[in-house]
Amino acid sequence: MNVDEIEQTEEIKQNVGQKGFDLSSLRLSQDFGSMVGVKKVITTIPVHKPHKQEFVRIRPEDDYQFSTAVIEMKEDRETFLIAPELWSELPGEIVPKIFLTGMTRQGVLFLWSIRLPNADGRHDNWNRSALEAAELAKKKWVKVVSNMALGGYEVYEATGELPDPEWPDLSFGEIMEIAFKDRYITGMDHPVIRRLNGEI
Amino acid sequence: MISLGSKSFRQVWLVDFEFVAPDGERPDQVVCLVAKELVGGHTMRLWEDELRRLKLPPYPVGADSLFVAYYASAEFNCHLSLGWPLPENVLDLFTEFRCVTNGKTLSSGSGLLGALTHFGLPCLDVVEKDAMRNLILSGGPWSQKEQEDIFDYCESDVVALEKLLPHMAPHLNIPHSLLRGRYMKAAAQIEYNGIPIDVESLALLENGWDSIQEQLIRKMDADYGVYEGKTFKQNKFAAWLVGGNIPWPHLPTGKLDLKDDTFKEMSRSYPAVGPLRELRVTLSQMRLSALAVGKDGRNRCMLSAFRAKTGRNQPSNKRFIFGPAVWLRSLIKPNTDYGLAYIDWSQQEFGIAAALSKDPLMMEAYRSGDPYLAFAKQAGAVPDNATKQSHKFEREQFKACVLAVQYGMGAESLAVRINQPVVQARELLKLHRTTYKVFWGWSAGVLNHAMLMGKIWTVFGWEIHIGKQANPRSLQNFPMQANGAEMLRLACCLAVESGIRVCAPVHDAILVEAPLNELDECIAKTQELMAQASEIVLDGFRLRSDVDITRYPDRYMDERGEKMWNTIWDCLNEMGSHQPVRQ
Repeated sequence: MNVDEIEQTEEIKQNVGQKGFDLSSLRLSQDFGSMVGVKKVITTIPVHKPHKQEFVRIRPEDDYQFSTAVIEMKEDRETFLIAPELWSELPGEIVPKIFLTGMTRQGVLFLWSIRLPNADGRHDNWNRSALEAAELAKKKWVKVVSNMALGGYEVYEATGELPDPEWPDLSFGEIMEIAFKDRYITGMDHPVIRRLNGEI
Repeated sequence: MISLGSKSFRQVWLVDFEFVAPDGERPDQVVCLVAKELVGGHTMRLWEDELRRLKLPPYPVGADSLFVAYYASAEFNCHLSLGWPLPENVLDLFTEFRCVTNGKTLSSGSGLLGALTHFGLPCLDVVEKDAMRNLILSGGPWSQKEQEDIFDYCESDVVALEKLLPHMAPHLNIPHSLLRGRYMKAAAQIEYNGIPIDVESLALLENGWDSIQEQLIRKMDADYGVYEGKTFKQNKFAAWLVGGNIPWPHLPTGKLDLKDDTFKEMSRSYPAVGPLRELRVTLSQMRLSALAVGKDGRNRCMLSAFRAKTGRNQPSNKRFIFGPAVWLRSLIKPNTDYGLAYIDWSQQEFGIAAALSKDPLMMEAYRSGDPYLAFAKQAGAVPDNATKQSHKFEREQFKACVLAVQYGMGAESLAVRINQPVVQARELLKLHRTTYKVFWGWSAGVLNHAMLMGKIWTVFGWEIHIGKQANPRSLQNFPMQANGAEMLRLACCLAVESGIRVCAPVHDAILVEAPLNELDECIAKTQELMAQASEIVLDGFRLRSDVDITRYPDRYMDERGEKMWNTIWDCLNEMGSHQPVRQ
């Protein structure tokens, strides 16, 4: 093609700014999280009293606490949940406890187990002060620090404007199941019971 | 009509030019053009004399035509040299190939040959032939046979485009592709403008450079003692680090990691490292003669658009005045009766993070005008009526924390930076996580998507594919960096299309130039366009910008390089150079 044959009739704007080009309509979503739907799966829930540095909250609803009996293996630092039908067969071994659903300021879900009064109604200062702290923790962020001289826990309340914890979407049953998945005793033939009875 | 995705075009033109453009110059000789119309199939071959006679391109450049090229800004520099308008619709197969393969390992790079190879297409015809390149760069005159050879050489690239297009088309989102093509037009215009340089000072520096380097080492190394002659000694550097109690990263081999990026990273935590880095860059990486300055006294080099993974420009450090040696930028000087304005978005990364994550507290902090102080207030560290003056110390700490999060710093590095115990730094980082929970949740979602689906993208579809060695920190930062790059590209398009003389895009800033009596108006207009660009990218969230103005006869000065610039001129003066002091 010769240059002279080229038609140059098209009107060309000097400023080809593509006006009217609706850029907003070209936007792609940046909400990547909602596209893949990942949720945190809780596979472990520790059972312990709060560490002395930790601020914690306790879930206030009655559905999220539970009184029961456990066996505590001090040597192994393990707690076993006992099926109620076995309680009468283990009078010297079981300990009455209340389990409360707690969360640390760092977002770690845990169960706080506090000893309840014995059948004779006796309750020591340690556990009484722990229960009082847990009650306060239903409304405030608190930390509990043991004071040997006092013979109980001292409770510290956070005074800042801190947000409430975000509780996971788990029922208390599910929480207990995760926490005690390998430590629920339903029969007298369980190795822990047999060990206590001197059978193994 | 030919359809590409959602768009139809009456004509599609595949175009390639051969031209001669010495370092720093505009294409001063457009040698030839080969253009092929895809639908009709006819090819035109025009030589330089024919091209010069044309006032308009020999192909339509209006709304219903599509211009296709590989790295189109080179073609547009030829358009500008010939005084032709730029096409309305541009499909640059380079930018698209980069987008389609960004993050993937390529056997033959991102050039035209690499793209052909990637799709399993024959590529022997486009292998660069040195003899042909040299023949073209000789500038002529060329014999009839040589002209034919040059035409054939040029046409081989056009034929390659024709082969490549159908393979690339299924991967393209045409409106997004055209937006990238639009930026290549702006990039060409910016390259064509160039940056005004004080060539007299440059000549003085070039002439005395060898002696200046020795003097510089003598002056600056006095604080470090790590040089022997002009050689950086690793064992001496190790001793300096021990003396300063600076924990330096090591390579797997056990040697100190001496990469510039490491120096850059470490200088954020240990400011004493900063001047040493500047000295190393100045001595080892910088050759003044490599700086691409044209006869018209303007620094001009290829912006290398879309070269970085984030989609940012990646011009040559040696050829571009905004390379790593910050002091060199003081060579930028407006022409007589002109002024320059360096306009950058204020806290751009924080603003993007706030807007994309839709974190209400983060957005509120940005809108407050002082996100650092706002963060301290939101975290409960200072009262609501605190000001920059009343709580300077706290503000600095929270500022360092925000920057540490952006840089991906850990508590140890932040502690050094703020000169506080690690526990304090850890607490600050924790406060960021608890205050900006929505942002952190969104950021985790970004990473989850990247790792599960293998890619993430910007609002305008610039993608990164996740390879085997995924870096979670980089991936979580990608939306901020890459959408920042989208914002800058869009702002450049809007500014150039509005007739503003843009000299350079620089990371999160634009350098513009105007006659002194029009400078204020130019700045206001540019700032408004930058705000508009942020609104478009961030779905209505507007970012502010800051301005640094340089009016003739002053020179541009980046405060990070001011000390070095002054030291270098002290060296020149001490050397007995009877030239005027340029400070």
